[in-house]
Amino acid sequence: MTLGGYPSDRHILGDLGMVAEVSSESEARLRTQVTPHITGADGGVRAGVLATLVDIVGGAIAARALQPDWMATADLALQVVRPAIGPWVEARGAVVRQGRTTLVIEALVFEVTDDGSDLDAATGDPSPVAWASMTFAVLEARNPASPIQMATEFPIRWEFAGDGLDRSIVDAVDLSVVDAAGGRVSLPVREYVLNSFGAVQGGVMALVAEVAGAEALEAAQGSDGASVVVTDLQVVYLALGRQGPIVTTATVLDAGSRGRRSAVVELVDEGGAGRLATVVNIGATVVDMPAPATS
Amino acid sequence: MSDDVEGDTGDPEGHTADRRHLVGEYFRLERWEIPPLPGVDAPSELGGRAPVDAHQRGSGGGLRAGGLLTCLDSMGGFLCGLAVLPEWIVTTSMMATISQLDHRGPLRLHGRVLRRGRNSAVARVDVFDEGRVGLPVAAATITCAVLDPGDMVREFERPYRTPMAPLRPGAPAPEEFFCIESGVGPVTRLELAGHLRNPWGILHGGAVAMLADVAACRAAQAGPARAKTTGSVAAADTVLHYLRPARVGPVEARCQVVGHRNGRAVVRLAIHDVGAGDRLVTLGSVAVLDV
Repeated sequence: MTLGGYPSDRHILGDLGMVAEVSSESEARLRTQVTPHITGADGGVRAGVLATLVDIVGGAIAARALQPDWMATADLALQVVRPAIGPWVEARGAVVRQGRTTLVIEALVFEVTDDGSDLDAATGDPSPVAWASMTFAVLEARNPASPIQMATEFPIRWEFAGDGLDRSIVDAVDLSVVDAAGGRVSLPVREYVLNSFGAVQGGVMALVAEVAGAEALEAAQGSDGASVVVTDLQVVYLALGRQGPIVTTATVLDAGSRGRRSAVVELVDEGGAGRLATVVNIGATVVDMPAPATS
Repeated sequence: MSDDVEGDTGDPEGHTADRRHLVGEYFRLERWEIPPLPGVDAPSELGGRAPVDAHQRGSGGGLRAGGLLTCLDSMGGFLCGLAVLPEWIVTTSMMATISQLDHRGPLRLHGRVLRRGRNSAVARVDVFDEGRVGLPVAAATITCAVLDPGDMVREFERPYRTPMAPLRPGAPAPEEFFCIESGVGPVTRLELAGHLRNPWGILHGGAVAMLADVAACRAAQAGPARAKTTGSVAAADTVLHYLRPARVGPVEARCQVVGHRNGRAVVRLAIHDVGAGDRLVTLGSVAVLDV
């Protein structure tokens, strides 16, 4: 599916091979295949990728519910309760409340099979791997007689087709670590990561924050053979990141009491007058990394 | 919805709440406005300080999460309100990460406005433990919708300051003060008493937060997958979407344990105003930790 040429032929959504289905006026699902390129140290899909999944499924629902108006993600929360190892992960979202200026959507993320069936369907009670919620701000249509035509019969299905990832998603978006201890990472703004507004996609901003927070937390805990895995993201979007690079700073709140880690990451659009674009509260846990093999 | 508009504290039915019992004063939160430097066009910041009274401590050792969230809501809501005067606000969502459960106190709070728009405002509030050399305790973002205040009078002496309320002898524990029924399991109920209403006449956001804390902990303790059956639990990271006002009551929190990981349960909660057609008023999640 494209919307006025969005997404472009070479785009992160295409490389994630997302498969979408809008099942009613207020519900949709979206899935992507789990590959090593999108997983973290615990073998589960990175929180930033899951955030991208739920942001897109929320956007698909919101676009339908709000037409002819449009929307922008105002906040997004995600809590991962166990590693999402696949073979696919699917976000299932539904409208919780639709108001005049905002729309709230809840989503649960499940592991599913290649054909989209629940992985543990035999039990009749598939358990989610993550819970998420989002608020979308309603943007009044400049032209209420929008030329965008939406299908009227459900279900509506489409795919974001692409070549697939041939390397880690962190490398694919060109994310670079500038200073691990300070949680400073840098993301160039290019078409590959843009949303339909021409700004960095909300899920990608969450991925950037995930990497920045994990770097800072790993640096804060020292080298003890454990790797930080981000499980919680609380994202508030303040301004669009259009110019780039998107540069982060992280403040570590807790580097290890009770086995939990937390940090706050701020994302600034450096080329956009240094404007604060996004603030993300990070929650994390650690996994022990196997010792390197010796001969 | 947020509290902390000063002035009229009555509910729509004309009940007069006793100010000594108001939610904002229960946690004895002191607040002071920090105006911008002369000539700088920026919203004020807000400082805050809260003692950690013995009867408000939870099983984590410090101020229980519901109390912390009430303070965060009060700070963030008031900051956003000041930023949009002469209009006013209601809180629409709060996302808080709580990094320390064991506080010596008092707690120091600092809030600033991150964004001030036509329809909404966003504030960030950070909390530190003065008793532990300023250790970070929590960070939160609070989003508010801008409203026409109608007849509600919004007059403050600027810079604004609220002193710390005195400690009341025999002050009740949070469950009693917030009229939360005793019980166990996934459903917890709150009676909507007059003193729990905010100046808009609806259930105070802090009361919703305390209900979320208590309900999530009860649900996590009752969950079948609970790994540690003998220990205590405490609420921590919380997300709340205030969807609609709770006006009638009783108010019921219905919880579902989404999953467990490393001594942490994620509890989804849906809060309903039973007396108002059982409508959903708040949706959120709470991370409950084994302590």
